Amino acid sequence: MTAFVEECRREWKRLGVPELLAEEMATDLEADLAEAQSDGVSAAEILGESDPRRFAETWASERGLVSEAPPQKKSRKGLWIGLAVAFVILVFVGFFSLAFITVGTSGSGGSVAVLRPSARPVKAVTVPNLVGMGVCKAVVTAHNLGLIVHAPDGPCDAVVVKQKPRAGAVVRGDTTATSVVTLRVRRPRG
Amino acid sequence: MQCMALESRRSQMLRGVLDLCLLAVVVDEPAYGYEMTRRLRERGLSIVGEGSIYPLLGRLEREGLVATHRAASDGGPPRKYYSASPSGRQALTEGVLAWRDVRGGVDSILAPIEAEVAR
Repeated sequence: MTAFVEECRREWKRLGVPELLAEEMATDLEADLAEAQSDGVSAAEILGESDPRRFAETWASERGLVSEAPPQKKSRKGLWIGLAVAFVILVFVGFFSLAFITVGTSGSGGSVAVLRPSARPVKAVTVPNLVGMGVCKAVVTAHNLGLIVHAPDGPCDAVVVKQKPRAGAVVRGDTTATSVVTLRVRRPRG
Repeated sequence: MQCMALESRRSQMLRGVLDLCLLAVVVDEPAYGYEMTRRLRERGLSIVGEGSIYPLLGRLEREGLVATHRAASDGGPPRKYYSASPSGRQALTEGVLAWRDVRGGVDSILAPIEAEVAR
């Protein structure tokens, strides 16, 4: 059964489940399986599934830990469409300018087409207040908003005592550098 | 073949109410994952073949229907305990009413059939 749990760990890593939460799930599953075994209960009753990858994926996905497909593809598509439209406009403008010049119209100065890169859709995220939360809950909350979370390893009942950026700050979800939330935690005593 | 069809029907019926059963076993006292399976078994509900409870617990957690905390278990490693949150209790109450409503209607239709089969 350790192999099953190990396979789950790998799958969660592949799916981008935050490490802290993946470890929590793996630890719980391992402990449950060991206890079931000592009770003479089959692993099938606990797992209900023989494929560890599917099991891990379903669990993480139901928990909301599997990130949506990154918006990059959509943005790229938008960029390409934007470029195609800009190109067509440029061709038309060029054609009419040329026609204008060819028919001998004298004018002062032609039109200048300025191509600006189409703005990528940016998702602004307001950083929630995570201070006082259990670190696992804080990680899930931030993760579900599309934020990248840096939290120290440790038990889930460690409490967040400091966060950066502060609550209420607006970060842009498309920029890796600004969408990171770093947590400092206080571990429980004992 | 008939056995498989029966299993499939049982599975489908159970899937619609398994979340309520999970909420029901933690409404009075928190429990960790395996402990919940144990409580279901003690009350006569085996979930072999119905899939695992973990994805369902994940969904209940995501929807805020269960609250969780970590605590030491009896002689074992610290475990994640689940308990019904206030909205979980509300969902359980509503779910039980819906279940009773459906069960009442179905029973009134199926009861005569059952009597005939029993004869």
